[in-house]
Amino acid sequence: MAERPAINDKKAPAGRADLEAIQSLLREALPDARAATVCIKLDQGSGSGVVVSEDGLILTAAHVTGGVGREFTVLFEDGRKVQAESLGLDSETDAAMARIIDKGSYPHVPIDRDDRTKLGDWVFSLGHSGGFDKARGSVVRLGRVVRMANSTYQSDCNLIGGDSGGPLFDLEGRLIGIHSRVGQRLPENMHVPMSAFLDKWDEMSKNEFLGEGPFAKKPEKGKGFLGLLAESHDGPGIRVKRVGRESPAEAAGIKAGDVLLAMDGEKLSSRDDLKALLEERAPEDKITFDLIRDGAEESITLRLGSRDS
Amino acid sequence: MTAKISTLCLLLACAGPLAASRSLETTYRTAGSAVHAAFDEVREHLQTSSAVFRRGRTEIIFGTVVSSDGFILTKASELGELSDVSVTVDRERYDEPVLVAEDPTWDLALVKIDANDLVPVDLAAVEEPARGSWVVANGATTRSKRRVQVGVVSANTREVFAQGGTVLGVQLKSGDDELVVESATEGTGAERAGLTSGDRIVSMDGKPIESRESLIEELKERRVGDTVMLGIEREGASLELEVELAGRADVFGEEATRNDAMSGEYSERRTGFPRVMQHDVMGNRHFMGGPVFDLDGHCVGMNIARFSRCETYAIPAEDLRGIVDQMVGGSGKN
Repeated sequence: MAERPAINDKKAPAGRADLEAIQSLLREALPDARAATVCIKLDQGSGSGVVVSEDGLILTAAHVTGGVGREFTVLFEDGRKVQAESLGLDSETDAAMARIIDKGSYPHVPIDRDDRTKLGDWVFSLGHSGGFDKARGSVVRLGRVVRMANSTYQSDCNLIGGDSGGPLFDLEGRLIGIHSRVGQRLPENMHVPMSAFLDKWDEMSKNEFLGEGPFAKKPEKGKGFLGLLAESHDGPGIRVKRVGRESPAEAAGIKAGDVLLAMDGEKLSSRDDLKALLEERAPEDKITFDLIRDGAEESITLRLGSRDS
Repeated sequence: MTAKISTLCLLLACAGPLAASRSLETTYRTAGSAVHAAFDEVREHLQTSSAVFRRGRTEIIFGTVVSSDGFILTKASELGELSDVSVTVDRERYDEPVLVAEDPTWDLALVKIDANDLVPVDLAAVEEPARGSWVVANGATTRSKRRVQVGVVSANTREVFAQGGTVLGVQLKSGDDELVVESATEGTGAERAGLTSGDRIVSMDGKPIESRESLIEELKERRVGDTVMLGIEREGASLELEVELAGRADVFGEEATRNDAMSGEYSERRTGFPRVMQHDVMGNRHFMGGPVFDLDGHCVGMNIARFSRCETYAIPAEDLRGIVDQMVGGSGKN
């Protein structure tokens, strides 16, 4: 294991030479760190994240992705735009994973796997503060780790809206945390440490929604929203009578008159069949209908909305 | 121009200490006195080459000493009336400062005090500091001592467009009269130029204006502080008026965002600058106007706007050199 930068073992920089040591480490680490820091654009806002593998695994915050299997746009600092999908999350620590869907080779950063960060270490944060701004780029802030607890680091790198999910690095450019939350007035900036990610790595990789914490709300079975009315008719399947405006069904292109034969392979012969199947699905679940329109068979896949929103 | 979008950042409902936590003493934090002590050499430059503008006992804004014979540059929109304002440089207090020149593009005011042996900032050609370089600026001050506040260069140096674009500062009528002035807004270039109710706008810098859209298109091409020749028709006569443009948000205000709500006292005039160097030194609107130094004590910029909790803008030294030459030169000094 490499040595920690000597500056971290001093209570405070003693003078010019120590300040230069911090400055040169930071300048050296910045280009790679910036290249891997992304802006995550969601329907309702924007956050940040960081790429940690060549094929595009992203670490971010649970309150940014908000759920499992959500699709969103990701922007690199140079303006490169790709599509990504959220994987699992831990609603208790605010850790979350996502993966870039577009095949490619992506700039990425190494993770601190050895929990080497200590109280008082010099660190830097990156993030797309206030949203993506190509002329500005991502914003770096330098500070120290000022408080450590089991599932949280606090630093004096000031964060603001848009930074959530962005990376906290040590002076050698290793990822040590993900930005989570801030004090409204005071410079209190909280980060999820890498240990919280490493502890739940496999579960999150397998799209699991972990815990019942405050950072994300688990979709509840039976709360899924489809937005159509269908009834039995003379023949197999059920006929769509009405499609709700701005519903997931409408967005997927389902129209009145379509005959739904099956949902996820299960045959439909009455309204109650559909209702029973939907009872077993939650908001954001993907479902597929086999249907007949104008005599031709086709299939439509859509993602359920939420009854609560 | 960045569109208004909501950004994600959870606020701590209660800022109580973390359970079972270990905490770094305040003095060793980035804004703590033990860390600031390492910048003592650079602090000397702030002591001699930054100025403190006070109204009565209240510090209103800092300034940057740009000549030995008493020229000080500061942020115009924070300065206000100069009566009952004093200026402190190092330990000396100077009364009755005189406003010599203003530059609306950069929101700068050049002020002269009665002094002879000041130490101006060194604006000699230094390279623009790389991202991640330390920068040192004015922190809280006492009557006799300037203190430091430190940070790093944190983003690309760039132009920051006026929030909402540039405006003349007029309300226009609606319907068929969409180019007829309803009223000129107080304190704007339109008012100073004498634009008044009933004036019909017909051209800008010689280009005919035929609709509100073409007026907006023309304004888009221009910056805050630019002056345009506005052709108008008034009671059958054709006139040309010289109108200085302003930023929309500076004239008509802007809706505070959630990020604004967590940014304390940010500068009122915080967008519409031809070029800014961005850093993360902490402060508020009253901490602007002073010089920004690198570790060598070279002046790399001058603080011009506190944008948010983690973003401060400085005019880069490269631009400052030309501005100082122009403003001091134009004051009839030589």
